[in-house]
Amino acid sequence: MRKSFLTKLTGITVAVSLLLAATACSSQDASSNAGSEGSASSGADNGVSSEAGSEGSIIKVSMGRQTLQNVTFPDGDTYEDNAYIRMAENKLNIDITDEFEANGDDYDRQVSLALSAGDIPDMMKVNTLDEVQELYENDLIADLTGVYEEYASDYLKSVYDSYEGRAMENVTFDGMMMALPGTNTDSGPSIVWIRSDWMEQLGLNIDEDQDGCITIEDVEAIAKEFMDKNPENAENVVGIALAPWLTSGDPDGTFSMNSIAYALGAFPKTWMEKDGNVVYGSTSEEMKQALAVASGWFQEGILDPQVGTRTWDDITALLANGQCGITFGTWHIPDWLLNNVYALNSNAKFEAYALADANGKVNCKHNNATAGYIVVSKDFDHPEIAIQIANLFYDELVNSKELLEEYPEVASYVADGVDGSSRPFNIEVNSYTSLLDDYSDLERCLNGEITVEEVRTSEQRSNATSISAYLEGNEDATGWSKYHSRSKGVELIQTLTEKNQFSWLTPIFPQTTPTMETNLANLEKLEEETFIKIVTGDIDVESGFEQFVTDWNKQGGEQIISEIAEQLQ
Amino acid sequence: MEGMKNKKRTAAKRRSEMSYHFMVFPGLFFLILFSYIPMVGVIMAFQDFVPAKGLFKSEFVGLKHFIYMFQLPDIGKIIRNTMVIALGKMIFGMILAIAFAILLNEIRIKFMKKTVQTIVYLPHFLSWVVLASVVTNLFGLDGSVNQFFTSIGLDKINFLGSSKVFPGLIIGTDVWKEFGYSSVIYLAAITSIDPGLHEAATMDGASWWKRVWNVTIPGMLPIILLMTAMNLTSILSAGFDQIYNLYSPIVYETGDVLDTYVYRIGLVGRQYSFGAAVGLCRSIVGMALLLSANALTKKLTDQKIF
Repeated sequence: MRKSFLTKLTGITVAVSLLLAATACSSQDASSNAGSEGSASSGADNGVSSEAGSEGSIIKVSMGRQTLQNVTFPDGDTYEDNAYIRMAENKLNIDITDEFEANGDDYDRQVSLALSAGDIPDMMKVNTLDEVQELYENDLIADLTGVYEEYASDYLKSVYDSYEGRAMENVTFDGMMMALPGTNTDSGPSIVWIRSDWMEQLGLNIDEDQDGCITIEDVEAIAKEFMDKNPENAENVVGIALAPWLTSGDPDGTFSMNSIAYALGAFPKTWMEKDGNVVYGSTSEEMKQALAVASGWFQEGILDPQVGTRTWDDITALLANGQCGITFGTWHIPDWLLNNVYALNSNAKFEAYALADANGKVNCKHNNATAGYIVVSKDFDHPEIAIQIANLFYDELVNSKELLEEYPEVASYVADGVDGSSRPFNIEVNSYTSLLDDYSDLERCLNGEITVEEVRTSEQRSNATSISAYLEGNEDATGWSKYHSRSKGVELIQTLTEKNQFSWLTPIFPQTTPTMETNLANLEKLEEETFIKIVTGDIDVESGFEQFVTDWNKQGGEQIISEIAEQLQ
Repeated sequence: MEGMKNKKRTAAKRRSEMSYHFMVFPGLFFLILFSYIPMVGVIMAFQDFVPAKGLFKSEFVGLKHFIYMFQLPDIGKIIRNTMVIALGKMIFGMILAIAFAILLNEIRIKFMKKTVQTIVYLPHFLSWVVLASVVTNLFGLDGSVNQFFTSIGLDKINFLGSSKVFPGLIIGTDVWKEFGYSSVIYLAAITSIDPGLHEAATMDGASWWKRVWNVTIPGMLPIILLMTAMNLTSILSAGFDQIYNLYSPIVYETGDVLDTYVYRIGLVGRQYSFGAAVGLCRSIVGMALLLSANALTKKLTDQKIF
């Protein structure tokens, strides 16, 4: 009798606790709300410290910072405590602490969480304008209009002005500047990077007219040769590997099949105008052809048989292990991704090519003028510090030689190419034509037309030094990286621009519409799922793609298009 | 006189039990703090929740999020995937755990018994984040399992990239991870069966099979029923961390479950109210299943869980 009562009691307890576990989802959301009350107290903390600041002591600044995986710091340095941070702290009399740090997508999740808790650090980077807007609507961030006017240096203002208002327009809400935008120059195409040491070894020759353009057939042929001959005797060789998402909204999407699509006239994940109508690039007829090419490669075994489950890190490993010798990516991947190949094999060399369409033109699209935004908490009493940090890093550090003499450890950071994400703000603020402007200095310096001292920016000066050293036989990894990213990557963009080989598309950059908010995530799922299935042959290209277009329109795509069209009017 | 004595005893008894009540108190406190108070958050499911406006000032929208949820084009497929995987885990997990408990109980060498038990339930304590990379290395296209297949002349199977195989992989690896741990409770049930019953059965000439079937299993039945009912409450959660670490768009067809879907759409897209609505639906389904399982067991076996 007693025992059965006990059993019952345990039963009830377990039952109740399990039920509670089942409601855990909703309870999590509620606890996040509790955090919003907590924000008031953190605001009070700031008040105390800033009062101290006005008496000439150190002002505390908490930050949310997006980091990068595999960044090599000099011994002992971290994201929170490195030469750049120390310089900012010393110059501006502040103390920077990181409230949160995270890589890539994880960072966006951190921002989401901070936003839902209503408790944000004094300054943080956010990646999208929608987040800025949400922060603005929730009244969490400060209006920077006044401090920008007062504190921003003339140079900094001229950089933003080079976008003819497009940069500032993006961050202006109801006439107020709500964020410091990172600028976004055109990134150029997704370059085809091919192991040139292998091509030499196997006696392969492409691009005989030396214009930097090759065709889809060339890529296919090279991939086949690399697989057959396997120059590094690696196990499980792979012709071409692609990331699971296959296409990217950025023209230069690394590990994406963008360049194949662009060469066929398709612009995946792009809103654009065509014959007076708004269209979505992924649903175009040309996209189907691009998928047909990839699917053909999959059947022939040129495309990685594990495409879809092969992660970003896996693909990097394929390249580093010499299992794969062709990849697609932006001009600066030698600095942070292909350097992994060099680390394992110092004989590795890459050549950069662009994929041309049937008319010999390289299709590419313009970027939005801004990318990455620094927002300042409404509760932070010194919003001008954000502008001062920007002045320091995007004006003084770029233009002043004295600053580097004053801070030799920063000079060595620049010289060693320690990643820019280690600066307090992980955004870039460059003038619209900066990429090619900077390169022209570098090129003239390497040609001997000007001396290193005459190069305008400190970053390019250090690039010039390390590239010259590399060309003279120094096997330093930075030299290898900079040589490949500049003298190969940017050089290609420069050549194509000079010879007028680019055919530019200006996409539409719509605000998030109501239907996008509710349906876009689902549409993206539909797109990714269908595309990977088409490529791996799970569904037929013709009928599968047609079905996709129908479903896409039916599940909200059509609605979104009409909403964007309305926005444009 | 009799009554007085009785009263006195109750008072004394109550006093001696006071200490136990105190012991329950901290647990109860945390239960209320972390489980009951947050239930207020359920309101969110009926609002367009904006964090800055808070729980009580956000706009009420009624059943909007529930309607939206059932209008999602993939919702049927996702609920189906969730139930297939959750039921598969539950059924195979229980069968294996019960069978394992019965077999383990037969081992007479105490040292062996303890060792086997420990080895088998260790995986329970490993996180899926860690185990996912083990699974990927074993079952990937170049993994050990496929290398074995090639060596005996079979075709490679893309376990992680095939919609047909993926749910099986998920169920199989989960059962492998958890069966040892869940067998502990069945083992306890077996040991509580009166040995006299086994002796009597042996005297009557019952074979080992007969004894398992007619003594052990009936003795375990209440626990088995209890566990089934408990597990039924989680029919709509198929294990987020496991699937999230192993799936990819290529297996969304059969591998995308409610948790992962809501995570992608709800949290990453910051649609809190929608997330809360799905959570609430799931709790209601879980509770309904628990209550009906209880009623059913009462009817069938005349035993109640609670």
